[in-house]
Amino acid sequence: MSEAGSTLPAEKRLSLLVTVLAFALPVVFVLVPLAIFLGYSFFSVDQGTIVYGFSLGNYVRFFTDPVFLPVFWNTIVLCVSVAIVCILLAYPAAYFLTTLKGRWRYALLMLLLVPLLMSYVIKIYAIRSILGLNGFLNKALVALGILQEPSTLFVFNMNAILLTLTLLLIPFAILPIFLSLERIPQVLLRASDDLGASGLQTFLRITLPLSLPGVASAASFVFVLAIGDFLTPQMVGGISGFTFGRILYSQFGTAYNWPFGAALSVALAVVVIAAILIGERFGRNPGTSA
Amino acid sequence: MNQNTDLLTLRSVSKSYGTVPVLHDIDLSIKDGEFLTVLGPSGSGKTTVLRLIGGLEPLTSGEIRLDGQDISRMPINRRPFNTVFQDYALFPHLTVSGNVGYGLSVRHVQRKEIARRVAEALELVQLGRFADRFPAQLSGGQRQRVALARALICQPRLILLDEPLAALDLELRRQMQVFLKSIQREIRTTFLFVTHDQEEAIGMADRICVMEAGHIRQLGTPHDLYYRPNCEFVARFFGENNLVAGKLGPVQGELRSIETALGRLICSISDQPHLKAAAEGASAYAAFRPEALHLADAKDTDNRFSGTISDLAFAGSSTVATIAAGPDNAAQRLRLRVPSRVDGSALRSGEAVSLSFAPHEGHLVLA
Repeated sequence: MSEAGSTLPAEKRLSLLVTVLAFALPVVFVLVPLAIFLGYSFFSVDQGTIVYGFSLGNYVRFFTDPVFLPVFWNTIVLCVSVAIVCILLAYPAAYFLTTLKGRWRYALLMLLLVPLLMSYVIKIYAIRSILGLNGFLNKALVALGILQEPSTLFVFNMNAILLTLTLLLIPFAILPIFLSLERIPQVLLRASDDLGASGLQTFLRITLPLSLPGVASAASFVFVLAIGDFLTPQMVGGISGFTFGRILYSQFGTAYNWPFGAALSVALAVVVIAAILIGERFGRNPGTSA
Repeated sequence: MNQNTDLLTLRSVSKSYGTVPVLHDIDLSIKDGEFLTVLGPSGSGKTTVLRLIGGLEPLTSGEIRLDGQDISRMPINRRPFNTVFQDYALFPHLTVSGNVGYGLSVRHVQRKEIARRVAEALELVQLGRFADRFPAQLSGGQRQRVALARALICQPRLILLDEPLAALDLELRRQMQVFLKSIQREIRTTFLFVTHDQEEAIGMADRICVMEAGHIRQLGTPHDLYYRPNCEFVARFFGENNLVAGKLGPVQGELRSIETALGRLICSISDQPHLKAAAEGASAYAAFRPEALHLADAKDTDNRFSGTISDLAFAGSSTVATIAAGPDNAAQRLRLRVPSRVDGSALRSGEAVSLSFAPHEGHLVLA
């Protein structure tokens, strides 16, 4: 690096511009909209027009109305379940990938990630047709003799949402787990063997703890994406699969109550930020932070 | 511990990666309680030897015996050996005590016992105060000592060290050499130390095994290797040396002459029966160390030749002169090392000198 004094003025200006942009873009496109939302949540609606005056009415309604909190809570439980199921399925898959050699490893990884390239809506339709009463899943279960007749257990309800979200979001779980597993230096595993550990002990004491950061970020990814989704519940949830995202959507789309919708969004944002912070907290390895 | 019993024996051990052979028919015995250094340039197969013994890789052929039992197929976690890896391989998510106690805890030793032995091991490597730190919070030398404590706490029959000092700076490396040697004496465990640094090897080893291109070239004490190298590679690789090519002359007791460009040189062949047996006229080298060479005076009648000083290099405690010797002062480049003096050495660049070395300080190496 040359001394600061020898830097050309033009270069200096450019680097200043880059710095300003780096800060300005997130501010303009992320923080300002969030702030506007926060502002809106304190307004109210009177006969279809927004009243621009400070009021805590939206929050009072959210916490006191018997509809919202239970749905909010059920949605959180649903999305935590989605995250857990995703992790449980993604971990073995990612672990298996890391045991493969060279070309196969990345070919299979790409194959697992290909669904991300497909249209979201098309995927939901596809899954819907699999889950339906006459869908592939029911037919297969009946054909295998596991069920006597088609079950409604996963047709237009919470289970359907859980299954669909899991299928849609699992690539987001595989990738971070795979990366964290791949980053574990092989020599640590050899050192564990060398010190007398069995394969299982090495996995439980070395591989698993060292991959937890990937698991944490996978879980927070999946949770955040799941809780923000309103389309999937709308399309596979039917009447019983009512989630917070759908309520939110209806406030903007059908009720035209933007201030209340904004207040609900703030509640959702709080949960999302909490999830990201928790993910970040556990996403760090002890020992890597001084 | 009996230094004369063999702990571990390698019998015609070979190793290939695919079709590329890296070890050819290695035979090696490691004595109980000794500090054996495997020395060689990179690509000589020295690390492979260590990995085969440690069980990190399977052999291609041959066998490894521990106390006479074949352990070639024994899995890595059953072998009573522990390795100190080149980059330490400390577990980043465990504290120093967690790392050191790992080998005991996977064997389900009781917590109290682990705590006691961890404290003991950390005391031994002088890291008692750092028990609760994580590896990332330690310096290179401290990590090194954690890795050592982690290996020796399991009381292995053999500790394998894979260039453990390579990442340290020179001063720390010297301290660690002394430290390793003293620990080895204290715990009386057999050490197998792999390095490419011959200074490190000389400083620590009871015996050195010199490897090149997948073969063992010589196995012996540092003194043996330095003064009685049995091949050109060892003579050149192990310390600075002057090698002068020639044809062997007749044997005269413990001495033998060799006809070279510097004239007839007489060198010692004591304890080297193969040199006594070699045919007259066979190609060989006269080898003598730069510190054995000196300016000749009237007493020196043997091994006397002339040359010109072409370069002088001050190297701290000693000064090294490069000398062009032989016919027309050009046939042979030699190095002469003399102790440095504050008022400058007696040597001048460009000066013609008469040189000599004592016959018992010279040796022969078959070409």
